[in-house]
Amino acid sequence: MDHPMSQIDPDQLKVILATDCGSTTTKAILIQYVDGEYRQTHRGEAPTTVEKPFANVTAGVLNSVSEIGELAGRRLVDDDGHIISPATETEGCDIYISTSSAGGGLQMMVAGVIAEMTAASAKRAALGAGSIVMDVIAANDGRRPHDQIQRIRDLRPDMILISGGTDGGTTDKVVQIAELIAPAKPQPRFGSSYEMPIIYAGNKEARDAVSNVFNEDGFDLQIVDNLRPVLERENLGPARDKIHDIFLEHVMAQAPGYEQLMEWTGAPIMPTPGAVGDILQTVARLQGINVVGVDIGGATTDVFSVFDDTFNRTVSANLGMSYSISNVCAEATMANVLRWVPFDMDERELRNHVKNKMIRPTTIPQTREALMFEQAVAREALRLAYKQHKEFATTLKGVQQQRTVGDTFSQETGGMTIVDNMKLDLLVASGGVLSHAPRMHQTAMLLIDAFEPEGITMLAKDSIFMMPHLGVLASVHPQAAEQVFERDCLVYLGTCVCAKGTPKPGKTCFKYQLSGDCTESGEIAGGELKLINMGMDDHATISVTPARGIDLGNGPGKKVEGKVRGGSVGLILDGRGRPLSLPEERAACQKTVQGWLDSLDVYQEDNEDKSTEPAGA
Amino acid sequence: MAKSYTPGLLVTRHKKHRCMRRLPIAGDVRVSVGDRVSADDVVAETALPGDVNPVNLSNQMSLPPKDVVACMLKQEGEPIAKDEPLAQTKGIFGMFKTTVNSRFEGTVETVSPVTGQVIIRGAPLPVQVRAYIGGEVVSVSEHEGCEVEADIAYMQGIFGVGGETHGPIMVACDSNDQVVTPDLITADMKGAVIIGGARITVEAIKKAQSIGAAAIISGGLDDEDLKSLLGYDLGVAITGRENLGITVIVSEGFGDIAMAERTFAMLKEHDGHEASVNGATQIRAGVMRPEVIIPLSEVPASERDADSESGELAIGRTLRVIRDPWFGMIGEVSALPAEPHVLGSGSKARVLEVKFPSGEMAIVPRANVELIWE
Amino acid sequence: MGMTGMMKAVLVLFAMAVLSLSQAFAVDITLSPPSNVETEDAPNDVGTQVWVRWDASLDDVELDQSSGRSLLGYAIYRKIDETGSGLESTAEMATNASELSFSANFDFQGVQPIGSVSYGRTQFLDENVENGMTYLYAVAATGPGDTFSPLAVADLPVTASMEYFNRGKLWFLLIMLAISGVIIGFVLYAKRGGIIKVRPIAGLEAVSEAVGRATEMGKPVLFVPGILDINDIQTVAGITVLANVAKTAAQYDAQLRVPTARSLVMTTARETVESAYLGEGRPDAYNEDNIYYLTDDQFGYTAGVQGVMVREEPAACFYMGAFYAESLILAETANSIGAIQIAGTAMPSQLPFFVAACDYTLIGEEFFAASAYLSNDPEQLGSLKGQDIGKIIAAGLLVVGCVLATIAVTNGSRGARIAELYIKDNILGADGLVPNANKVAEIDAAMESQSQQPLGKGGDS
Repeated sequence: MDHPMSQIDPDQLKVILATDCGSTTTKAILIQYVDGEYRQTHRGEAPTTVEKPFANVTAGVLNSVSEIGELAGRRLVDDDGHIISPATETEGCDIYISTSSAGGGLQMMVAGVIAEMTAASAKRAALGAGSIVMDVIAANDGRRPHDQIQRIRDLRPDMILISGGTDGGTTDKVVQIAELIAPAKPQPRFGSSYEMPIIYAGNKEARDAVSNVFNEDGFDLQIVDNLRPVLERENLGPARDKIHDIFLEHVMAQAPGYEQLMEWTGAPIMPTPGAVGDILQTVARLQGINVVGVDIGGATTDVFSVFDDTFNRTVSANLGMSYSISNVCAEATMANVLRWVPFDMDERELRNHVKNKMIRPTTIPQTREALMFEQAVAREALRLAYKQHKEFATTLKGVQQQRTVGDTFSQETGGMTIVDNMKLDLLVASGGVLSHAPRMHQTAMLLIDAFEPEGITMLAKDSIFMMPHLGVLASVHPQAAEQVFERDCLVYLGTCVCAKGTPKPGKTCFKYQLSGDCTESGEIAGGELKLINMGMDDHATISVTPARGIDLGNGPGKKVEGKVRGGSVGLILDGRGRPLSLPEERAACQKTVQGWLDSLDVYQEDNEDKSTEPAGA
Repeated sequence: MAKSYTPGLLVTRHKKHRCMRRLPIAGDVRVSVGDRVSADDVVAETALPGDVNPVNLSNQMSLPPKDVVACMLKQEGEPIAKDEPLAQTKGIFGMFKTTVNSRFEGTVETVSPVTGQVIIRGAPLPVQVRAYIGGEVVSVSEHEGCEVEADIAYMQGIFGVGGETHGPIMVACDSNDQVVTPDLITADMKGAVIIGGARITVEAIKKAQSIGAAAIISGGLDDEDLKSLLGYDLGVAITGRENLGITVIVSEGFGDIAMAERTFAMLKEHDGHEASVNGATQIRAGVMRPEVIIPLSEVPASERDADSESGELAIGRTLRVIRDPWFGMIGEVSALPAEPHVLGSGSKARVLEVKFPSGEMAIVPRANVELIWE
Repeated sequence: MGMTGMMKAVLVLFAMAVLSLSQAFAVDITLSPPSNVETEDAPNDVGTQVWVRWDASLDDVELDQSSGRSLLGYAIYRKIDETGSGLESTAEMATNASELSFSANFDFQGVQPIGSVSYGRTQFLDENVENGMTYLYAVAATGPGDTFSPLAVADLPVTASMEYFNRGKLWFLLIMLAISGVIIGFVLYAKRGGIIKVRPIAGLEAVSEAVGRATEMGKPVLFVPGILDINDIQTVAGITVLANVAKTAAQYDAQLRVPTARSLVMTTARETVESAYLGEGRPDAYNEDNIYYLTDDQFGYTAGVQGVMVREEPAACFYMGAFYAESLILAETANSIGAIQIAGTAMPSQLPFFVAACDYTLIGEEFFAASAYLSNDPEQLGSLKGQDIGKIIAAGLLVVGCVLATIAVTNGSRGARIAELYIKDNILGADGLVPNANKVAEIDAAMESQSQQPLGKGGDS
């Protein structure tokens, strides 16, 4: 597929049309250059049409685009059913771009020699490219060969990434892995004529041997540079690019209608999560901040982080709010979920509710109690997903350490997490339970409770899940993408200022002083949570003096100054301490949580709709 | 957008069904295209090498490793059954002997005088793939498997545990809203596919398990009961590999809930017929629901195909609420307000008004109902 | 009153005896004898000690500068009741005395005393008695030029006896019981499923990383178990770590090489590695030729290991055991080939080299705790925890003792001094549960003299 990317002059782009073909809905947005800046002006939505009876993704795309056209009063689709490009004064767009996760997105299997080393790098490459990693096969994954073969057969990946060995390193282990995969003959999801694409990104000296193994029908072996040429360095670029290429050439081409869609787009179609990762990286780079993004779905939770220019993405496959809700309760334990619920619930009944939500994933909570329970589950799902992310986003393993005698008592192992909540500047939430919460306060509270940010952190949510569109746009016009991201994509909830340490309950945790659009000063006691109203466009400087042993960014007890901005919620001052701990005892825990919810006014009392109250309940 | 959610569960009196039967690793396919097979026939088989099980006898008998060899009751190369004595110490004057029984079945492969370790190699694991449904072999892929096709009556459940099995259908309940209790399970149900009505109790499942029933199918199940049956809390709805000796399928959901009348009637019609059952469930992309397949001896000529539960929402339609607070209750649509409504939870959603048989009315989000057929 | 009467009688008796003897043997019995000779079986011993105490002779004083002392010391004599007669010293006069006594005309020249002390001292510990024997002691003052005093004989004979309990060390028993109790408590706690948290030891956590690196690079893993024999505890600890390394190597299917400097270490290492491979279900991957003996010679061995390093370029090197001068030679060589190195030793002199040259180093205690850490066995973890408590007690005593001693010196309060004495002589020493009254009295006396000195007064009250 030849994309005219090089011919695009970013300055000529005045009207940009972008779609994201999700598994159920296709969302289109229109970005226009208005009064010297790029703004998202209109949006449209239509059901995705990959499945029968339409079996052509372009139908859904055109429906959503037509909806925008009507709203914008601009003709975007011509009579032949084509998107009009380039734009004139009244019709068409300058560029059309798209992402796709239809049909379950890009599903991959990766393999490497050692699970924590080359296999982990391979997984990072696959996740970074926006795929779902179905399984990681490694020589030391504890499974016997026939179990591994069985697993490979059961999975139906779109492609397989094999790594292993440093350049000049092990050859036989890599070939052994290849010899497991070849006879297992993994079946692709689409059609039998499809040749399973295999990307080999391992020891360059093993290339011939690996080629010999896959030298039979049904495989399409592609060789790229080793993604771990030495253990000290990762080189994920070539493998990532190859994954994108194959995604377009093989996977997308198999899906109905995509061939046509690819002709329309002015930049390569990207897998949705890959595009989300790209926009977050772009924003982090342009603004010089550290960002964590989360997208909680029904089955999975994606966590993206950019710390000091290092991007990581994890997909927690079994943490989600519908298909996986039961697993969240099992993994986090019901007791941990219930600690966020400030009233008693019958556990037996709850368990049935949870399982019914699992087998009927599209139902929505009707009562306030059901909503509170669902949000309690969400807290645990996010907490676990973030924990998994921290464990995965590490420095490289298997690297030689340089020591001096001074390190005698402070030897650190390789593979430490690079996620540092204190350094986090922006936390972006998306996904149903977060972005469609009835009150923004709930979203903010969920984020703070689950991610436990430290120091000064901005909270935002993706208003209409626009990040994928902007991710593709970033590959064409980063500045435009960043402008729209800042102005239209994010809905700022506000800023939270959170103390790290164990403050004494009731005693001063930190003193604060605000100046700017909001002037206020006071102190926060240990265990206290306070909301200060700051509007959407309010900016202020906060100066915080923590008590002894309490850290807000400059070390325990040290004064901190920083900028805060308001939002739909405001400024949240959190003196509960980190790590966040709740009383063990049920009644005390309920009281504490109720106190927190009250101080942030998370659930308003007066929105009770009497007609939905069950009779006799 | 007046479309209600249905899980898309298929319940039909007739359909042509194809079923892929595949080996986990390369092996021999025993059938060829055109063969008629019954559910129990082996269509393909292969063998996996046995497992290696090391047993440290030196530690277990508190003997120096070199003395272990002399204490062996089974020598290298001899087969041994599980719990069969493997070695015995000499004891003191023939008393206080310590006997070690094998925890594994297999062949004594080596006895090491250096470490006192005995290795028992399990038997090669034969892997057999059966036809699962009676029908005709329509295609064969060499060394891999084949496809079987048949005319069947078909029912999908919403959730199940346990794998493939088959047996004659035996109806245990008189009506679709009768709770399945242990007294309804009788000894003559050995090997049968038991059809229940509403909720199955764990006691009933355990009884069915003990009499050796093949499967039990009913309307609902308590999650607590599922947990005590499995021995663990099920996290992800990917099932089918449990080793329970019985396959359990629920057609409607968790809790006290009756099987849909139409489903119950269809299964009752086939009382005594052979049925193939698979509890494997996977709720995700590539949804897999548990199924009951009843091969038909003669194809009904005029029977309508594919009448799955779907249709337009309209006033007067019967529906079931599938979320608390009215979970499982059946009622009639009495109004379809067009405007979104603010729910008790504070969120806005499109709703409908439902009238329950008791005369009580309720407002329910459209996402929380499913249409049912009379 | 009886006592003095009796003493006088004895003195007269001795004076007479001495007078008569002095003529027969050229010995001057001119000094006045010590008095109140008392003997006591030494407490808390195995029956081999007897205390002899007396009051100083009247001559035990310094005269003036020119003439010096007339009394230089005391000689101690004893009689044994073995036969009911005779001193055990040589050339003793035969007597027919059937009871335990010293003859009236004692031969000071012919009989060697069993011990002597210098002037000013009034007690003697006879450490050369036999359990169960009865002895009679006598003390005579000695002066320059064979001058003696008459023998002062103890009133009563003494029998040396053994005590089953050394009550002086009761504190020792208590501390031991406490630590054992804590250890047993923790073992039981761990066995019942209690969680004992052990601080992560980076060096052991990194084993899988190091072996993984070797696997990825297709290079072997080198394990050096030190240069001492298997009877050295460090070698044993090293073999424990080897078991874990071998287990990981078996899982990862990495090549493991173990050159040894002792044949017995080689045998042990082979068995350890083989069982580790068996345990992982990889008996086929075990090759005993990879665990071999080089030489007993320290530098021959070092050169051999270096050769392996340079030729095979292992990607991970472990040094676990006792090391001497070869430590840095090995670590630097392996560093030059880019290997991950993990060292563990209890040799304080070699630790700095390992810390500087290796990626990870297990230091002393960490190294010994490795087996508990790696096995996760409740018994070992429990005892590790218990031992830690013991160490905390010891460290606590050390700190408290230091603080009290400092206070006692700088401030000099009675309480601090007695507390210091208590820790030093009772808890750590052999004075039993209650402070020794004499030592307390000494402190009191010292304090008194201190407090009265400024006033220029002396004497006692």
